[in-house]
Amino acid sequence: MSANRQTLKGKMDTGRRKQPQAALPLVILLLAALLLQACAGGPAPTTPPAVETGAAVPETGNESEQPGEAAGPTTGQEDNVFRVAMQPIVQTDPALISSDSEVLVANHVYDYLVDIDPQSNLIPRLATDWQVSDDGLTYTFQLAEGVTFHDGSPFSAEDVVWTFERLRDPANGFATQSLYANIASIEATGDLEVTFTLNEPNPFFLYDLSDNHALILKAGTADPSGFNGTGPFMVSDYRPEDRIIMQANPDYFIAGQPALDGLEIIFFADETAAVDALRSGQVDLAMRMSTALFESLMNEPGITTVEVPTNGFDLIRLRADTEPGNDPRVIQALKLATDRQAIFMLVQQGYGAVGRDSPIGPLYASYYTEETPLPERDVEAARQLLAEAGYEDGLQFDLHTPDTGNRPDLAVVIQEQWAAAGIDVNVIVEPESVYYGDDGWLEVQLGITGWGDRPYPQFYLDVMLACDAIWNEAHFCDEELDQLIQTAGTTLDEEERAAAYAEIQRILIERGPVIIPYFFAQFAAIDSRYQNFELKAFAGRTDFRELTLAP
Amino acid sequence: MTAADFRTLEQGQAPAAQPAAAQRTPLGLLRALFSRPASAAGTVIFLLFLTLALLGPLLAPYGANEQIAADARQPPSAAHPFGTDTLGRDVFSRVLLGARDILSLAGFGTLLAVLSGTSLGLLSGYLGGWFDELLMRFFDSLLAMPALLLALMLLGAAGPSRGSILIVIVIVYTPIVARVVRSVVLSVKSRGFVEAARMQGESLGAILFLEILPSVLPALAVEAALRFSYAIFLVASLGFLGVGVQPPNPDWGLMVKEARSSVAQVPWAMYFPAGAIAVLVVGVNLMADGIRRAWTEG
Repeated sequence: MSANRQTLKGKMDTGRRKQPQAALPLVILLLAALLLQACAGGPAPTTPPAVETGAAVPETGNESEQPGEAAGPTTGQEDNVFRVAMQPIVQTDPALISSDSEVLVANHVYDYLVDIDPQSNLIPRLATDWQVSDDGLTYTFQLAEGVTFHDGSPFSAEDVVWTFERLRDPANGFATQSLYANIASIEATGDLEVTFTLNEPNPFFLYDLSDNHALILKAGTADPSGFNGTGPFMVSDYRPEDRIIMQANPDYFIAGQPALDGLEIIFFADETAAVDALRSGQVDLAMRMSTALFESLMNEPGITTVEVPTNGFDLIRLRADTEPGNDPRVIQALKLATDRQAIFMLVQQGYGAVGRDSPIGPLYASYYTEETPLPERDVEAARQLLAEAGYEDGLQFDLHTPDTGNRPDLAVVIQEQWAAAGIDVNVIVEPESVYYGDDGWLEVQLGITGWGDRPYPQFYLDVMLACDAIWNEAHFCDEELDQLIQTAGTTLDEEERAAAYAEIQRILIERGPVIIPYFFAQFAAIDSRYQNFELKAFAGRTDFRELTLAP
Repeated sequence: MTAADFRTLEQGQAPAAQPAAAQRTPLGLLRALFSRPASAAGTVIFLLFLTLALLGPLLAPYGANEQIAADARQPPSAAHPFGTDTLGRDVFSRVLLGARDILSLAGFGTLLAVLSGTSLGLLSGYLGGWFDELLMRFFDSLLAMPALLLALMLLGAAGPSRGSILIVIVIVYTPIVARVVRSVVLSVKSRGFVEAARMQGESLGAILFLEILPSVLPALAVEAALRFSYAIFLVASLGFLGVGVQPPNPDWGLMVKEARSSVAQVPWAMYFPAGAIAVLVVGVNLMADGIRRAWTEG
């Protein structure tokens, strides 16, 4: 190719090579592209016109997008169709869904047996009521009456039994198999009554039943991706990679719900494009975005920004089974060298909550405690501890971090903070697939890992901090802590559990191998005309059943 | 009659391949560069960046990784001429301090690539035969891949570090330089002064570097300047793609990458390093074009 041309030219005339001129237009093009981007990226120039079209005449933006779409969202006043920008979906079988957008779609086509509200409390859905036996082994659920699937067939206890048998059958190999391994039997004890029997008590069993995948299918469903649910919306058109169009289910079992006439989930692979679509009135809601994009929407007229705290967090952890992490003084020194408040303000820009080195965050109001004081940042004390541990000349680490979210920023701030205490950190940013690939993240000495939001805290302790935890990334084992985790995870006494969690928080502050500097916030921005929008920490579980246009 | 006399004779016959005597000194070249507005501008830009790279640590008001929490996300002002980024770092200082990084990486990388490319090109063109054939087919296979793709593959294997970036620049640009040198060698090696040197029994090294190399210099100078500008682009691209210089180093490409997600909030943190890359590359290109004109048009 170009090499051959070069040789030829060289042979013919060494002096007359055209490359400099050829490169110039390219460079100028690049400059122009940068300038263009500058105009597109700045919020100021696009703001006034975008808002006006968005609020007053949403039709103009849409007609060019979807000609011939009669039932489309073109007439904002009569047809009350809500349009959501979300990442494209891949899986439609409820047992296989995982991303926010996949769960969001399924959550509106199907119903959960029990659901969770935005404050992580359990609430009824298809189960209207339930009783737990005194030994904590038998759960009986009464189901709602008059529920029908979208194909017209009635809903009964058999559907619930079939769904959970499917989710826990090892032959199917679903991720829910281990979650429901503790179930001994599931029986239909009446036309509208289901009884679950457990092998061992599990105080979090109801939360397990509200798992993202536990959406009730019709018994014997051959193709679980067929959208035949009992949910508030019925799929009328699914165009992969483009959008999914749903209409309100007129026979939904809760009177008055859904308040909308229709729901359209429009797929955007890029969050910036999704936010631009919201600005121009093409969609009514965008969820999950970077802090910068969220901030840029804050003063936008016609758009309401919503922010909720979550229990998702990033942690920095040092392996406790090798030098120097096997010396508790080193772990303590790293904690003393860290300024969590400064990290929170710089990396999270003040959104979410400051962490206390424990995964039991302030969102778990009944368990979270600030009883044990978190030591103030003290660089001198950190230096001294390191010297006592035999590291007078400081320490050197490679800090591995995935390249997603704010994690590289966290690494950079940690590097600067620890440098003051004589700890020399070399940041290594890796693609997420490399960081987690081949379980490399469990092996590295010093790493940053992101953990998602969960409705209850026991999960983190079981899989991350117990001695035999499958993701014990710090290779940490503390007998007292292990015992407390065991107690908290099995006791049926709520007070005993709260006491165990308080002790766990104390131990983690005193000698835990992880630093948790902050908890994330979840962001969304919605057209201000809509009411009753309640964003959930896991954005995909956000529920539009009661969403309505302002009168 | 010595080989040198032959060469002088040959030069008289082929003036287009050699610069006029006045422009073969550095000062002469500089004068030629400044005789044209475009190349003068390019040279000024390059020298300015070079000065900034040398004096950066003296001029920068803040450290490259100094995080001033209270000043985070400030627009350009007197205290922070280019504003601050999301982590409260002074963008002006980072751009200034980043100049040394990118110029030294691209500069050393180009120098090494030119040295190895020249040696291999001289050998390959002069010796010919199976050695030439083998080397050129190997280079063909390297050149068949886009430079950036090749660099990504190499860095994926070697892991990101300054050393591996240098090696990548050498591997990516050596074949190109070698081809240019080889093509000139092919056109000179049958000339009289080379024949004479060979008959006099001069060593291979002497023939290559004392007899042939001077004829290659004009093409080589232009090629080196061009490679330099491409190397700047390559280093910045690798930084942008996250496989080059690692954070928190003030690498321009990396700065663009870091600021990209927050461009709606702190646009200045992206535009200043991006602008620095663009201005430097344009400057070096204009200068390379000036060198080419000066050496070929006399």
